[in-house]
Amino acid sequence: MTTLLQMRGIVRCFGAVRANDGVDLDVSSGEILGLLGENGSGKSTLMKVLFGMIPADAGDIVFRGRRLGGHRPADAMAAGVAMIHQHFMLIEAMTVVDNVMLGWAEAGRLLKRSEMAARIHEASRRFGLDLDPDAVVADLPLGRRQRIEILKAVLREAELLILDEPTSNLAPSEVADLLTILRRLREQGKGVVFITHKLPEVLDVCDRVVVLRAGRVSGRSPVGAVTRAQLAEMMVGRDTTAPHMARQASSKVDRLIVTNLEGPGLGPLSFAVKGGEVLGVAGVDGNGQLELVETLAGLRRPHGGALSVDGLELVEASIAARTEAGLAYMPADRSSTALVKSLSIAENLMLRDSRRAPYSRGLFLSRAARDAKARALMREYDIRAPYPATPAGRLSGGNQQKIVVARELDRKPAALIAHQAAWGLDPGATRFVVERVLALRAAGAAIVYFSSELDEVLDVADRVAVMANGRFAGVVARREADLGQIGLWMSGRAA
Amino acid sequence: MDVGASGVTDAAPPTAPARLPALAAWRFHVGDQLAWRIAAAIALSTVSAALLVALSGRNPAAAFAAMAAGAAGSPHQLGVALNRATPYLLAGGGVAVCFRAGVINIGAEGQIALGGVGAAAVSLHWPDTPSPAAAMVALVGAAALGAAWAAVATAIHLGRRVHEVLATLLLNFIALLLVQQTLAGPLGQTGAGFLQSPELPAAAWLGKAPDLGAHAGVVVAVVAAAALSLILWLTPFGFALRVAGRSRRAAAYAGFSMNGLTWGVMLLAGALAGLAGGVEVLGMHHRLIEGFSTGFGFKAVTVALLGALEPLAVIPAALFVGLLEAGSLSMQRQIGVPSALVAVIEGMTMLFVLAATVRRA
Repeated sequence: MTTLLQMRGIVRCFGAVRANDGVDLDVSSGEILGLLGENGSGKSTLMKVLFGMIPADAGDIVFRGRRLGGHRPADAMAAGVAMIHQHFMLIEAMTVVDNVMLGWAEAGRLLKRSEMAARIHEASRRFGLDLDPDAVVADLPLGRRQRIEILKAVLREAELLILDEPTSNLAPSEVADLLTILRRLREQGKGVVFITHKLPEVLDVCDRVVVLRAGRVSGRSPVGAVTRAQLAEMMVGRDTTAPHMARQASSKVDRLIVTNLEGPGLGPLSFAVKGGEVLGVAGVDGNGQLELVETLAGLRRPHGGALSVDGLELVEASIAARTEAGLAYMPADRSSTALVKSLSIAENLMLRDSRRAPYSRGLFLSRAARDAKARALMREYDIRAPYPATPAGRLSGGNQQKIVVARELDRKPAALIAHQAAWGLDPGATRFVVERVLALRAAGAAIVYFSSELDEVLDVADRVAVMANGRFAGVVARREADLGQIGLWMSGRAA
Repeated sequence: MDVGASGVTDAAPPTAPARLPALAAWRFHVGDQLAWRIAAAIALSTVSAALLVALSGRNPAAAFAAMAAGAAGSPHQLGVALNRATPYLLAGGGVAVCFRAGVINIGAEGQIALGGVGAAAVSLHWPDTPSPAAAMVALVGAAALGAAWAAVATAIHLGRRVHEVLATLLLNFIALLLVQQTLAGPLGQTGAGFLQSPELPAAAWLGKAPDLGAHAGVVVAVVAAAALSLILWLTPFGFALRVAGRSRRAAAYAGFSMNGLTWGVMLLAGALAGLAGGVEVLGMHHRLIEGFSTGFGFKAVTVALLGALEPLAVIPAALFVGLLEAGSLSMQRQIGVPSALVAVIEGMTMLFVLAATVRRA
């Protein structure tokens, strides 16, 4: 085994956030390295730096004895690094051969189709990829499409393959096949970086693991010397002794009840939230959170199940009727769902209430009432902008989110669905959002608070649910929350 | 040499910082001022029109004099321009409201044509209706048929998910054939030699202002534009459609029904386009003639964009096109500038003005 890649002291900042903060990483040929970490731990940033998609602020990269620096993806590919993205870069209407030839100089100025097909056959057999060169990509299942990407990499003589969350779109049998292919790549002396947050796969196929947390390496170990629980701890591990007030729901009455809710990528799922209670929903992004949130909010139709707020059945209700019934919703997508950036602050504040008083008077909207209301809300919620007529898009992210918070909470809702409510906000704005949510809790509303930041969930929640594969892998009272257990739930094994 | 160079370097610093901000400020000023940009567009189009006229061997100065006289040289000429602008204003306002909601309706052409059929059919069917009522019911018929045609497009668009551009565009051709068919059949005048209806009863004609010769449709159109502006800015419906035009996801989140909004704007625009056709028939020709509205619907789109999709701003936009057309016609008549060149000048002027006025999102 020779050393293929050495990354030393990689630093990369985005604004004030140090996405990578002095990361070292080594990969040898004939080795599968598992790169673990939560969302936002810096895995993707590190790999983008390696592949030349973004420059590093500091640090050195040596690949096969040559320094890489200020390079671009084309240089990285020429040097022998291949990146296999989570979303495949394939043209569906074309065949496997066409996709392999695409953008590859060796395909010739006059395309050498049959020669390419022969090479695909040969490589496909050598790595156990089982690909028909003449198959049309659109007809292939996702697992096969991924193999085309792997094929492209090995045909271009890549020595190091980076696979970014390669199993997230695959069926279980396809995952097993992929792991077999990775082992074949290892036998052929390739180096593999396997980015994932799924612990079983790591333990199954990797030789070594490196765990990132908050931009730093929080653990590195040969796979044989570490247990699942230890890995989970390294991933989420934080100050578990942080003081937390022992909270309890202020009411005994369930205000928000979800029963057997089911839809594409979701459920069946049942839970209830009491008045004055915050149910925090943690989990790695893409495990059904968006589906659940949008189904609760009425933006998606479920296949079945029930949803009620204060006893009012809402699963068939329109979004307007849900709002009327006291269900407030803060979407994760601030830029084009929660707000219309080109409209004014005042108009964004009335976005979901325009047909109600004080905004509507009979047939017409009242501008005077709208602006007066906007001024009052801007004061109360500390929205810092010169005028109610200022376009929302001119404000900072924090002030934009304050508009959403003001609009949704001013209605005095019975229940609130908050999705990534503090995402991308600076600490001050985050505190503001969390405080307002807790104030609503104190006022007796039922709150479901979704976030992929576990810390944030632990800060606000009375109970913590962990979402994995469209369901709750487990639900636990905040006081009894055990981080190891939560980490295991997040990694996809139900309780 | 040395002295000169040092002289330059010594002199440069004090002047450069003083001049650069001034230049930047000037550019910012001009870049942001709509009036400046429109003036520049008109200047550019005048220069290029002059070039074209000169290339065709005529005197540009004489051509422009004829154009100005034709557009607003006399009350009568101004009336011609106002009458020209009227259908553009009516249909353009409707198109503007559709575009605001993100519904790309380019079916005004067909809706206008059928509006003409509606007006003619109603007034021929009830020829004895007394004077003010006759015109009104005929206009109601025009609006109803225009709205009905828009409803067909909407039903196809929403029911079968055909893109609205296709649904509205293709129905235009069918509408034009329908007009032909009614003129060859039930509404046609036998022995006229070409496809037209008999003259409509005089009670249904729109009154004309003395001297000016502008018909009452002008007033209808201005009132409609004002009403559209009111709807757009001061009603919940208008707010909903402005949100939908910016972001459909935000509109869904706000609880607005995209289907309901689409029906609303399409029926509104269809009725206005129908009115445009009705006004043209009752105010200008006093009968339905095949091809009476050729190109009106597409010009309505241009006018809506020229007016920045703002109903009140569509008024000057429509007037501008009306004046341009009236002027070009007389330029053609008096100086002999070929009619194709007139169309080129018209199109070029609109392009320049559009390029100057369209706001970057």
